[in-house]
Amino acid sequence: MTVQERLEEIFRGVLNREDIALTDETTAADVPGWDSVAQINLMVSIEQSFGVQFTGNQLAEFRNVGELRRFLEGRAGV
Amino acid sequence: MSRLAVERRDGREAIAEGDRLRKEGRFDQALIVYRSAAEGHELVPAHICLKLARTCIDLEDYGEAWRWTLAVVDSGDDFASWQAAAALLARLPVEAMPNSKRSAKLALLSSYTTTQFGPMLELAAAPLGIRFELYQGHYGQYRQEIIDPQSPMYGFGPDFVLLAVHEGDLALPDLSQDPDRDIQAELQRWTSLWRTVSQRTAARVVQYNFALPPETPMGHLGSRLPGSRYAMTRRLNSRLGEEAAGRVSFIDAELISSLFGKNRWFDPRFWFLGKYAVAPEAHPLLARHTAAVIAADLGLSRKCLVLDLDNTLWGGVIGEDGLAGIKLGDGVEGEAYVALQEYIRKLKNKGIILAVCSKNNPADAREPFEKHPEMRIKLDDIAVFAANWRPKPENIREIAEKLNIGLDSLVLLDDNPVEREAVRQFLPEVDVISLPADPSRYVRALAEYLMFETTSFTVEDAQRADQYRARAQIADLESSAESIEDFHRSLKMRAIVRPFDELNLPRIAQLIGKTNQFNLTTRRHGAEKLREFMADPDCVHLYLRLRDRFADHGLVSVAIARREGEVLDIDTWLMSCRVIGRTVEAQMLHHLCVEALRLGCSLLRGTYVPTAKNAMVGDVYGRYGFEAIEDRDKTTVWQYNITARGVIENGFIDLVDRWEENDDGSGTS
Repeated sequence: MTVQERLEEIFRGVLNREDIALTDETTAADVPGWDSVAQINLMVSIEQSFGVQFTGNQLAEFRNVGELRRFLEGRAGV
Repeated sequence: MSRLAVERRDGREAIAEGDRLRKEGRFDQALIVYRSAAEGHELVPAHICLKLARTCIDLEDYGEAWRWTLAVVDSGDDFASWQAAAALLARLPVEAMPNSKRSAKLALLSSYTTTQFGPMLELAAAPLGIRFELYQGHYGQYRQEIIDPQSPMYGFGPDFVLLAVHEGDLALPDLSQDPDRDIQAELQRWTSLWRTVSQRTAARVVQYNFALPPETPMGHLGSRLPGSRYAMTRRLNSRLGEEAAGRVSFIDAELISSLFGKNRWFDPRFWFLGKYAVAPEAHPLLARHTAAVIAADLGLSRKCLVLDLDNTLWGGVIGEDGLAGIKLGDGVEGEAYVALQEYIRKLKNKGIILAVCSKNNPADAREPFEKHPEMRIKLDDIAVFAANWRPKPENIREIAEKLNIGLDSLVLLDDNPVEREAVRQFLPEVDVISLPADPSRYVRALAEYLMFETTSFTVEDAQRADQYRARAQIADLESSAESIEDFHRSLKMRAIVRPFDELNLPRIAQLIGKTNQFNLTTRRHGAEKLREFMADPDCVHLYLRLRDRFADHGLVSVAIARREGEVLDIDTWLMSCRVIGRTVEAQMLHHLCVEALRLGCSLLRGTYVPTAKNAMVGDVYGRYGFEAIEDRDKTTVWQYNITARGVIENGFIDLVDRWEENDDGSGTS
């Protein structure tokens, strides 16, 4: 699975919506339910799944998919 | 390629196939494929459980959807899966919840963010049979919610008030000139919150103690310096524990944070970001412990541990290896089995009943207990000993019957995954502990099983295991006695009957809180309410202690009645099921008649309110000559005319004022 696909799977699980399709341009504003609580759930789930640790700032500020994907690809060596 | 790798690849392919089918709307087929991926796992991994649950929702099979959602709890403590499962829970109809035993309203008041924690607590409680209705206060508002009598929390009408508070909320200085005074002030602040809640509601307070953060500016000196915040917090925890005693459930968050690892429990990023004093990752473990303590408060703890023998209590197979061949005492594995036995004995000493269920020849199975010098568990510790070649589910069902407890009071400890699976499948009410392959880890696995939690510890608890053994012996005696009257006489029963007193109140409240079967009205009065009865001159309140020639059964029956004109109305009457069939009920009715006459009442009135568990007492009043006078919504009201029919008598129990000194209830007298 690509990083993009793994992210999509996590988003669907956390937000409990099967119809979520992510692109690099997707931001929190585009996805219903992606609020500040969901942000925490997403970030913890992504940390667990990819075995990474975000900084405090990243936890708050990764609010768009492209940025997240590039970071994970750089970090996880996927 | 190893077998494991093949299975894993197949599992992954099956899941991808299932995903594709589900996307195409072919839910039936997706379900079959996901199920095949779940096969072969003793505990199905969370991500597969979640897929199965979602597909079952697609198919509107909500019973199965519940089952798979709750299976996530068994799969581990992973935040992402718990969060997803908790979110699914909100989509499942409550009436489809399997195995629902109690519903309770829980107000969650906190000093930190618990947005995700609340739903996870609901999730953790559901497999224990508890359906929570949740009220979540705003974080940091716990004081206002409690102090303001108009707060929405009181409007909610909680059964439990959970105070989720953390160390950062304590008003303790880093270094105190007067630690006693500062600790006292905090102690008062918390106990007065507890008092306010109990004055205004019938809710039970549940509170976390204060987990000590990993950062200690005083370093090691902190633990030697009574005025350091570190030392004061530790003392406050222990003082609060003493204050909580039987009336507040105090949960050891300090211990749970250590188990989890303090460096991860206290994750500063989440505190800075959203005021999470407990890291999200630690929520599942905390929820699990909290649910177990509340379950104990609701009387849902498990009572009996059923033990396998070969490769569980000792290494090897006694029937093949012989007494000298089994591993027990020497070497790494031998030590591990001894450690497990010692831990099990400690459980027995806190009141857990032990039973044996082993596929063995009976004589072989008993031999180590009788002859092996390293055995820590003795035959005397075992209430029911089932060693034969019949299927375990059958034996376990019989064990429950012999002990007269529900299957949902039993827990199986067995090294054999096949036996565990059989019991899970045929007796889903029985909890099954998944033992790891390495016996060194047995004790830990047993300790991580949380449903042996108890709310309070009384002398009765310590004796319980022996009483159950005595009762199993009585079952043998019963079959040899000529008539039931002979049998009752042969027991040489003695009882003390008294009004409630402060000393016995914890046990009385405990019995009222957990008795399900012989319980006419199932009114769960708490200690405060009981004190009101005690202060009321129109109230009759009695407890009964029982001894016979086999055992001291302790405080086993309670009755509360209130005068209404010439009627004495029985509000509460219950009896521990371990003394059912021993004429104790007649003895209690005798005393109620006597008390009625003393208060000038000529009529005794009783009510039977049916529940899922108390069918056995549906006709108890009828059997003793009461007449049914009212029948509404299945609740029946019964009346007994004492003047016309006379005081109910029981000739089988001798009434005593106190136990004779040489009467230890052991049957040697």
